[in-house]
Amino acid sequence: MLQLEKIRKTYRMGEVDVPILHGIDLTVLRGDYIAIMGASGSGKSTLMNILGCLEQPSEGRYYFDARDVTTLSDNERTDLRNFQIGFIFQQFNLLPRLTALDNVMLPMVYAGYPRHERLERARQMLADVGLAERMANLPSQLSGGQQQRVAIARALVNQPELLLADEPTGALDSRTGREVMDLITGLHAQGLTIVLVTHDAQVARRTRRIVRIQDGRITADGPPAG
Amino acid sequence: MTVHPYPAPSPSPLSRPGAGEPRRARSDRRRADLAETIPLAWESLLSNRLRSVLTMLGVIIGIGAVITMVTIGRGAQTQTESQLKSLGSNLLFVQSGVATTGSPVSQGAGSASTLVWEDARAIAASSPAVADVAPVLNRRVQVVFAERNTSTQVVGTTPSYVPVRDFLPLTGRFFNQAEVERAARVAVLGQTVVDALGLTPSSALKQTIRIQGEPFSVIGTMEFKGVNSFRDMDDQVFIPLTTMATRIVGVNSIAGIAVDSISASATRPDQMDAAQYQITNLLRLRHGIVPPRQDDFLIRNQADLVSASNSVAGIFTALLGGSAAISLIVGGIGIMNIMLVSVTERTREIGIRRAIGARSSDILWQFLIESVVLSLCGGLLGIALGVIASQSLNQVFGWKGGIAVDAVILSLLFCLGIGVFFGAYPARKAARLDPITALRSD
Repeated sequence: MLQLEKIRKTYRMGEVDVPILHGIDLTVLRGDYIAIMGASGSGKSTLMNILGCLEQPSEGRYYFDARDVTTLSDNERTDLRNFQIGFIFQQFNLLPRLTALDNVMLPMVYAGYPRHERLERARQMLADVGLAERMANLPSQLSGGQQQRVAIARALVNQPELLLADEPTGALDSRTGREVMDLITGLHAQGLTIVLVTHDAQVARRTRRIVRIQDGRITADGPPAG
Repeated sequence: MTVHPYPAPSPSPLSRPGAGEPRRARSDRRRADLAETIPLAWESLLSNRLRSVLTMLGVIIGIGAVITMVTIGRGAQTQTESQLKSLGSNLLFVQSGVATTGSPVSQGAGSASTLVWEDARAIAASSPAVADVAPVLNRRVQVVFAERNTSTQVVGTTPSYVPVRDFLPLTGRFFNQAEVERAARVAVLGQTVVDALGLTPSSALKQTIRIQGEPFSVIGTMEFKGVNSFRDMDDQVFIPLTTMATRIVGVNSIAGIAVDSISASATRPDQMDAAQYQITNLLRLRHGIVPPRQDDFLIRNQADLVSASNSVAGIFTALLGGSAAISLIVGGIGIMNIMLVSVTERTREIGIRRAIGARSSDILWQFLIESVVLSLCGGLLGIALGVIASQSLNQVFGWKGGIAVDAVILSLLFCLGIGVFFGAYPARKAARLDPITALRSD
């Protein structure tokens, strides 16, 4: 489903070029469940941003389904994020002034769905993640685990093909973290393609495939040990 | 795009509601409804109420000032117009003295008495376009009744003053031709004078007042006429011209009784030009004026006065409105400032929105609409303020100026323009933020 060919990313810090990724080749198959692991500064976040079409690689090719993302316009990449990719962040990244329901509806607003359809689907999504009673709450009135579940509902509301999760349990205690991972693993069981970044081995073990990154290169790629 | 490593996308395998329906074609995608953005903008303004109101204050004051100034200016203008109309209908005003043009040292109209009563009689007799003619001789003198006295304008004239100036007695009567011919000591009082002498319109009748020491019998009082741009029409005492010339002024030229001015009314409004032409020619003939000698009189008509006062009022309104408009622009700069702050504060929000599928144009619209909502709210409050202020000022000064509807509509359009103009730069800045930079900011 995804194919990265010789992806390089170099940041320019003033006069100096700082290379982050040194030629990444990676293929993600439909239905994959991948954990990207690596020390901070290894380039795993940059890789995630490129996978999520938030950032463009400096060199190389990135195919999403049949399309070469590196040749798409900003609007086309935005639509790709809107329709085909769902994001979950470590800090949840909900809009603080919007209710849980409004947060979940937001991607559909940008997709141009009529209001009644948005309401119906957002309610259904929130019920699916177990927050039927909390729809009118603001993020500040929800616990961390609840906020992350709202974020998951938001990520899935436009029925994406790919779910990207950046340290989804990083800001949660281990119990709620496990619950969130149960939810994500359940989504994989339903057939969703998932890529997550983590440095928690417990989290990584629940995936089907672990990609290790060190200094901008993939050093290992295979099923979790044991 | 010839070789693709992967087949075309298939529907999502999620067993979620609606998962089976075909994915929306990309061309179906339209920009998020503008109508959706307005409640969002409204909420964001409400969430920072004090700041929003302070920001709007500039626009509120600006619009309020524009509406007030324009309404008041218009009110003053209609007021002047009605005052000038109250001078009398179809009025022509002949003043003695040389015209100001051409002479190196102007003495000003009215500085030398060149008009006499005979001129007025001649105009009445031989100008077909003229209906009535009233010669006027004025002096400001002391008027005494019992213990009270007042300094007022004493007007010596003839009975035709009443039709020419459209100024009627309230009680009693105006003096008649017979009283003029025998130089009777009778007086008709304006209402200000009646008050100043401690009398009432009815009690004043048959009283004896002293004008410059001479006893006069009061035979009538005049209706209220109010203040016009030239004088308080009610602060006058009317006596026969003959009495005025012999008892009060006592200066006669060899050509007869000298007068300060002659008021004449045209037979019809469309006869004003004809009347003016006839009077000019007649007076030149009588005064022996041939070029290059200057006219020793000056004719003004009501239309001239109205247009002169209108242009003054117009300049005034424009000046006031203009200075108010400047405060509007200052208000606009305030909006731009706060929108820039808002963009900076909400960088992360912009990043999140971009990540989940907001195009940069969606962000542009969001901030533009917020700034327009801000300025339009300010505009509406400003209009309310302006309407209240101008209505209460109208009450205080007794003006009849209505609300300047065109100013209200123009103000709203102007507010819209301010919102767009001063919101454009912050909105563009927001739209151009790099999603990943925005997302990473705190």
